[in-house]
Amino acid sequence: MCGIAGIVAHEDITAKLVDSIRNLEYRGYDSCGVALMNGSGVISVSKNVGAVDEVSEKENFLKMSGNIGIAHTRWATHGNVTKANSHPHSSGNKAFTITHNGIVSNHDNLRTELGKKGYKFKSGTDTEVIVHLIDDQFKKLGSVESAFVNAMRKLEGTYAIAMITAHDKGKIYCSRMESPLLLGVGSDANYVGSDFNAFINYTKSAVFLEDGEYAIVTHENHVVKKIATGKTVERDVQELQWDLEMAQKGGFPHYMLKEIYEQPQIVHRALDIDGAEIREMAKAAINQKNFFITGVGTTFYVAQIGQYYFSNYAGITPMVISSDEFRFLAQVDSKSLVLAISQSGETYDTLSALRHAKARKAKTAAIINVMGSSMARMVDHLVLQGSGPEICVISTKAALAQMIVLARIALEAGVMRKHITAKEAKTKEKELRKLPNAIDKLLNEQSAFIHAIAKKQSNIRHWLFLGRGRYYPVARESALKMKEVSYVHAEGMPSGFLKHGTIALIDDDLNSVVFTPTEDEKDLFKLTLSSAEEIRARNGYVLGIRFKTKLKQKLPFSDEIVLPKTPSFIAPFLQVVVAHLLSYFTATTLKRNIDRPRALAKSVTVE
Amino acid sequence: MKTLLLTGGRGVNMTPFSKTRPNSMIPIGGDYLIDHTLQSLKSAGIGSINMVVGHKSEVLSNHLGDDHFSDGNIHVINQGKSSTIGSAMLKAKDRFAPGDHFLLVYADIFSTSNIFNLALQAFGLHNEPTALICLTQSGEKYGNVYLDGDMKITKIIEKPKKKAGLGNYVLAGVYVLPYRFFGYLKKTRGNMELALQQVLKKETLRAAIWEDNWLDMAFPWDVLAANRNIMELWNSTDIHHSVKLNETVIKGPVKICKNAEICTGSVLEGPAYLGPGSFVGHNVLIRPNTVIGSDCVIGQGAELKNCAIFDNSTVGRLSFIGDSVVGAGVDIGAGTMTINRKIDKKTVRVLINGKKIDSGLSKLGAFIGDGALVGASNIIAPGTIIQSEERIEHNFSVPKSTGTKGRK
Repeated sequence: MCGIAGIVAHEDITAKLVDSIRNLEYRGYDSCGVALMNGSGVISVSKNVGAVDEVSEKENFLKMSGNIGIAHTRWATHGNVTKANSHPHSSGNKAFTITHNGIVSNHDNLRTELGKKGYKFKSGTDTEVIVHLIDDQFKKLGSVESAFVNAMRKLEGTYAIAMITAHDKGKIYCSRMESPLLLGVGSDANYVGSDFNAFINYTKSAVFLEDGEYAIVTHENHVVKKIATGKTVERDVQELQWDLEMAQKGGFPHYMLKEIYEQPQIVHRALDIDGAEIREMAKAAINQKNFFITGVGTTFYVAQIGQYYFSNYAGITPMVISSDEFRFLAQVDSKSLVLAISQSGETYDTLSALRHAKARKAKTAAIINVMGSSMARMVDHLVLQGSGPEICVISTKAALAQMIVLARIALEAGVMRKHITAKEAKTKEKELRKLPNAIDKLLNEQSAFIHAIAKKQSNIRHWLFLGRGRYYPVARESALKMKEVSYVHAEGMPSGFLKHGTIALIDDDLNSVVFTPTEDEKDLFKLTLSSAEEIRARNGYVLGIRFKTKLKQKLPFSDEIVLPKTPSFIAPFLQVVVAHLLSYFTATTLKRNIDRPRALAKSVTVE
Repeated sequence: MKTLLLTGGRGVNMTPFSKTRPNSMIPIGGDYLIDHTLQSLKSAGIGSINMVVGHKSEVLSNHLGDDHFSDGNIHVINQGKSSTIGSAMLKAKDRFAPGDHFLLVYADIFSTSNIFNLALQAFGLHNEPTALICLTQSGEKYGNVYLDGDMKITKIIEKPKKKAGLGNYVLAGVYVLPYRFFGYLKKTRGNMELALQQVLKKETLRAAIWEDNWLDMAFPWDVLAANRNIMELWNSTDIHHSVKLNETVIKGPVKICKNAEICTGSVLEGPAYLGPGSFVGHNVLIRPNTVIGSDCVIGQGAELKNCAIFDNSTVGRLSFIGDSVVGAGVDIGAGTMTINRKIDKKTVRVLINGKKIDSGLSKLGAFIGDGALVGASNIIAPGTIIQSEERIEHNFSVPKSTGTKGRK
């Protein structure tokens, strides 16, 4: 997802344009750029890697000037995060400059064709192909509008495009095909944006473009036409009631819930990561004598879940060390691989763990979400999880995607080590493919039950989160979610620990959650239930998160959230999502600051 | 935005009060439900309302009078014999023009904050049909929706059986819909549910999640919940200067209106509301979440707790009214007790239209219809409904009453 903004006015718009892409940063923030055109038709472009404020300072955006401009904020899915790959892109003679959101599927063919005509490419982006294509059409047709439309007709795939050109000063050309774009109508300026956050501070009147349409915008008026026929379309100006925060959350009350609901799609993406990347990572893991996984906070628990998957399916037990403790504990050497888990790729503690490892000549690897981040640039092996920007401070979708990636690597490693057969691995992969639907069903069929339980128990200040085997790190991660977002004390531990001390705590003021394995995991299932019974015997409240069983007897839970029968390979992941909802609804009942909990920051970049 | 407000439903579950008034004329927190709805619409910037009326519309029009909605206008449409939401909507079709989007509001919906603002904002996000959704513990009574990560509704399951295990966000009775929707209604013969399915199939229906409180005023005990929702927001006491208080103990936030009077030795525990002109005798105990309408008389030594008493009613001396709703013009004789808990402490079931409905509440008293007469010394079982205008004789122990009940 990327963000496009554009402004046409008769006075300087530089500051306004930078503000516009700042308001679009939630759509992506790994690199950005602006292009401005002055009265005499000279276009200046400035862009780099980083968030808007960072790049604006580095590249002196505000020292530029112009009364027409387009800008872009990027979240790379393909192509590296580099200055050359950032938008806007210009044609060789700088006469045409465009920004683009979407994926042009026939860019390889077009690139070859244009290459034959002598066009040189500076970047690996499909966007540069478009701008050269327009330039090529202009040389042939001599009219900007015909060149623009003809180029659009040759594109396959999805796009939203905004263009300025020295050949037709005072205008922005834009078009839309399955990527969002709309126009803003102001009193002394007009606007273009991926969504109205681009111009919400300047106007509340908008014109919606539809797929297959293009528009030509000047500071006084606009015209909308069909790409296919060139016919003008009458489109009303809509006056809308807008709220910036709400718009960015897409109607969800909080980013946290939005990101929870994105999880089916995010899991799909984690499953679509190229098998070659996964295999390479698995090879790296098993080729070294020592294999470490490190993370901190949520990613430490993600690493722990990974540890169980490696143990259960690859027959190796990686050492999992919290990255803040890494340098005090880890004996790494040149025969070690250190795999770091981080959403931002900038977490200070995890970066230092990697540096510690590198200094001792260990191989390094990372699973991260933000392309182009410090970790992405320093490690030997990298898997990008592709979860899209995560705005809520509490990690939900990104953490889940990391768990999936680790499970996939564990399966590959298992096959390579002949711990499991390729056939077994295939079955498990198939089970993983069922996860998005299972999550979708859970979100859409159980939310109200989970909400009701959270509401009923919201006066409780102390919780124990218990699990065994792979469900133990799930319990710990879930307890952390509860603490972070609802400020309620929750302690995650192996349920076997209970009778070794903690059970003394059980009373009316302490609730427990038991993450119950599937019935197929016979031993785990029995042992976990006996822990629940121990608590019940002391009149403690137990919430069971469990799967449907064939058992006739009632299970020892005070309340329960019953999930459909699920293959054990993916069962822990489903429970992670239940825990997301439980902590979310507890926090909303307690009226907490959901997306920005007190004292927390999204990416902890300090020691 | 043009608005379509549906008030014509029969409110069959709101027995015994639905016999004498539409749901929108249920008093809550000292006003009527319709007053809250109109006030919220007005503060959401709605100036013109098309109000479909039906069942007991005269009660509503008497209340609204001529200039109740002074800053805008209400156009009243009679739904006649229409018996479904969809057919009632179709009666108002001419009030809208092709290309319009309109705000559709079910008048039985109650929230203390402005749910309509969210509807308008959410619509503004995409300019597409929008439905407000919320969480409720009784999801089986509503349309359950399935959402995707873009807040598009992918599926609606109407009133799923409990066995289906569905528990999700439900349709909250507030929509922004296009004029085309009337076409879908026509095609589906006024079936709202099928028409919404048409929107899902042919275009996009966006959802917006309402997280604040939300009540569908369907059952008589919902009146108590609505009162509580309103009064828990009160944080100060408001006593009109004309009120006569004589050695009254007041705790917590209370509202006491014009010309009310409370005699010596009474205790008022807030949150509580006492309407204009009401009289509270000596040594009365009024406990939290009690709402007493205008011109009521509460006799000496009575105890009231979590209850609603509509206008012009009398509670005789030494009575107890708890977790109950008493209609307007009701006369309750001395020493009458509403028993508000079953001996086994289980949730109370109420006979509504021949069906035993579980209220989900372990404390629930009686529901006494408008104009009923309850003789002295009666003891009323939990969850009893006394119909409007019903007459219950005194209950004597000497000589023993025959216990016969009869209609006036």
